[in-house]
Amino acid sequence: MSETKVKHADEIFKSFKTQSVSEFFKKNAAMLGYTGKLRSLTTLVHEGVTNSLDACEEARFFPDISVYISEVGPEHYRVIMEDNASGIPLDYIPHVFGKMLAGSKAHRNIQSRGQQGIGVSGAVMYSQVTTGKPTEIVTSTGDKVINKVNIKIDVEKNTGEILSRETLKNPDKWRGTRINLEAKNLQYNRSKYSPYSYLKMTAIANPHTRILFVEPDGTKILFDRNVRNIPKHPKEMKPHPHGTSADDILTMIKNSSATRVRTFLVSEFTRVSAKKVEEIEQISKLDLDINPKKVDWEYAENLVSAIKQISFMAPPTEGLIPIGAESVKLGLEGILAPEFVHTVTRSPQTYHGGIAFIVEAGIAYGGGAGNNGLDIIRYANRTPLIFDQGGCCITEAAKSVDWKRYGVKDDNAPLTIFVNLVSTHIPYTSAGKQAIANEEEIYNEIRFALMEAGRSLSRYLSGKRRAHEKLTKKKTLLRYVVETSNAIGNLIKSEDKSKIINALTDIVEKKYDFEESNDGEEEVTAALEENSEEEVSENGD
Amino acid sequence: METKSQNIPSILGKFGEEIYEQIMNGESPSIKIPQRGKSNVYFDDEEKVIQLGDKFSKRHFLNVAHTKKFMQTVLVASYCRKLVEENRHAGIRELYYALKHTVEGSKENTFDDQAESNPIIEDIETTLDILREELNLTADRRGYIYGDIVLKDGEDEFNAAKLGRGGWAVPGTVEDIEFLNVNAEYILVIETAAMCDRLIEEKFTQKNNALLVACQGQAPRGIRRLVNRLHTENKLPVYVFTDGDPYGWYIYSTLKQGSMNLAYLSKRLGVPDSKFIGMTMDDIDEYELQKVTEKLKDVDKKRINEIMDYEWFKHKDWQEQMKKCLKLGVRIEQQALANKSLEFVAKEYLPQKIENEVFLP
Repeated sequence: MSETKVKHADEIFKSFKTQSVSEFFKKNAAMLGYTGKLRSLTTLVHEGVTNSLDACEEARFFPDISVYISEVGPEHYRVIMEDNASGIPLDYIPHVFGKMLAGSKAHRNIQSRGQQGIGVSGAVMYSQVTTGKPTEIVTSTGDKVINKVNIKIDVEKNTGEILSRETLKNPDKWRGTRINLEAKNLQYNRSKYSPYSYLKMTAIANPHTRILFVEPDGTKILFDRNVRNIPKHPKEMKPHPHGTSADDILTMIKNSSATRVRTFLVSEFTRVSAKKVEEIEQISKLDLDINPKKVDWEYAENLVSAIKQISFMAPPTEGLIPIGAESVKLGLEGILAPEFVHTVTRSPQTYHGGIAFIVEAGIAYGGGAGNNGLDIIRYANRTPLIFDQGGCCITEAAKSVDWKRYGVKDDNAPLTIFVNLVSTHIPYTSAGKQAIANEEEIYNEIRFALMEAGRSLSRYLSGKRRAHEKLTKKKTLLRYVVETSNAIGNLIKSEDKSKIINALTDIVEKKYDFEESNDGEEEVTAALEENSEEEVSENGD
Repeated sequence: METKSQNIPSILGKFGEEIYEQIMNGESPSIKIPQRGKSNVYFDDEEKVIQLGDKFSKRHFLNVAHTKKFMQTVLVASYCRKLVEENRHAGIRELYYALKHTVEGSKENTFDDQAESNPIIEDIETTLDILREELNLTADRRGYIYGDIVLKDGEDEFNAAKLGRGGWAVPGTVEDIEFLNVNAEYILVIETAAMCDRLIEEKFTQKNNALLVACQGQAPRGIRRLVNRLHTENKLPVYVFTDGDPYGWYIYSTLKQGSMNLAYLSKRLGVPDSKFIGMTMDDIDEYELQKVTEKLKDVDKKRINEIMDYEWFKHKDWQEQMKKCLKLGVRIEQQALANKSLEFVAKEYLPQKIENEVFLP
């Protein structure tokens, strides 16, 4: 009997341990960007830099970020990242660097660089699992002391653990945070996927930032600040009813203090008025006066299907902060020094019926633009997307544009295509957050933005071609001046041929000087004339 | 000869001065040139020749499409002035070689081909209304004359019937040739040298008191000017004998009323009074030549349709010829007459036609 005794559930679940988020990470490092030697290094830098940029933005400081990478041993590197943000109070250090999903923005309907909040603690974790060593954090809020701590993550408890702590004096009122960590299984080079490319891209999309980068061989690179204003800080937004799922509603109810579903809908969603609630009521035939806590899955589903049948105003967009066409332009110009730049910031749109987004695009041509040909640089909320280029909506949209139409002759043209997708919710294809899913609305907006920039590029290129043709024409004319002048001189038996040469040269020079200061119509008529046969006149005499 | 009085160097000089003035005034230099070709010719009903219209082209130095031609024009003009002043002559091919060189400071040539310099010469002729001959330019000789005529060419005097069976090859420029003694009743212009040789062998000249002129295809300027002069100066009627096809008929047309390309010279080159002997479509029936016709090709038909539209082919007799030609779908060569016998053309065909005045207008 004992052998066939049925086990009680409590007994079974005694051995079931809740897996901590940290442990989950450790087992799934690859999913979070720690895969491949080069990519892992770039991810480490990305997490640190993103953290710094967010911190500076929130504190309204112009970011000054330094990144030092040095080689410790084979596939073993030290990464030091320093910023001038507000610093971290001692008590919060374990929270910031030691706990996964601790970010202040997780679960908020707000545009942010990092979205899932794994962030910089992931870097600490990666260091720890590859070297067994803690991460050194040096930080000060600009007061009398600098705190220097060594921190590790307690994987099981999902908390940061301070191993040692030092308090230093801060006579210079230094403010900021410095992370110093070591990690293995890394590799450094300057390829497209490297920290170098990542920082360069970051500098383009964050032109208010100055980044100093020191490579393992000691090479110092400065991506300087090109814009003198700090981007507005994004605002949290209430969700739009469209694009909300039954699960979302149940989650929101948990955090809501509303006492009736009717008031819950009005207070927790954007664009839901009392009148709209009446519509929902009519269509769903639900009792909207029950306490939200009593809402079950079926009720929530009915609510969602009713909502879908009603049209709401588009979501407000003040929470979305694009970089701004002007700043993108300055960023591209400052970092790539191209011949030509055109940038576009589109007006806000929505996808999935209710998620607001803005597409920003830019085209840089010539100079340092392009990467031995077409280079597509992708951003989500101004964070560079480096990996998984092929599966990304931005890549697909950019490649779908027929660039030949815009005067781009071949794939080797020195062209950089910049696209930044701004949204409270970026539809990534995976937790690696490196590719954007192919949402039709987003895809189309990217295309429109690029085509608009393309038209401007086309104008520039044809102008350039015209200028080149003009120069060729001028050269051609000048080539014939001497021969023609000499012949005229012979014809009229003039000894002073240089007089004719000078006068004819002047005429040619004047024609082209005049045209240069008068583009547009003047050129068009000139072009028509040049293409024509010798003009015909009747009864000329 | 009518233009001999013109002072060629001063005309060329004045042409240069005008361009010089434009340049010195800071104006875009240009040359006004009468257009040549079909778009600017018309048939002058009174003079019965093709005349040049009054459309002009402007050649601008500052228009890169014209620049090279502009340079070539002044280059040729200045070379011609030198020729005339030094009293020397040059062939049009010599002119091409004399002026061909690399343009200073470039890899381009002043002329790449004689096909570039020839039209420039014609431009200058039309623009300044002077003849190539007056510019001391000569063309390659083609065509010859045979018959009892004493000519003086430079120091030489000779009878064109006593130079052997080849006759006298007519030079490109005949302005200076003098006609000392002409013993002939008419001029017979013949398309092919082979037919002319046939007539010489048959002693056609002696028996019919004719001057034979072989133009060897489309009549060159020298031949046309010679025929024109013999006609106007010695009042000799001109008869033309070509193949019975659109090309032969067009040779006749050119001899009679000038060509479109040299329309500005029509009065000096054309003989509006000339008559067409043959071959005609009617000859095929008349002389039972059906077996020796050639089939028309598509290009031949196209050409017929083209010349049927020319104003100077609107005469109903010619229209009928063309229509008949298209209807029969054949052409007939001069030498097809050999089908009758070698001497047929000399003994029967030509004498009969001339005596009975069986001509096309």
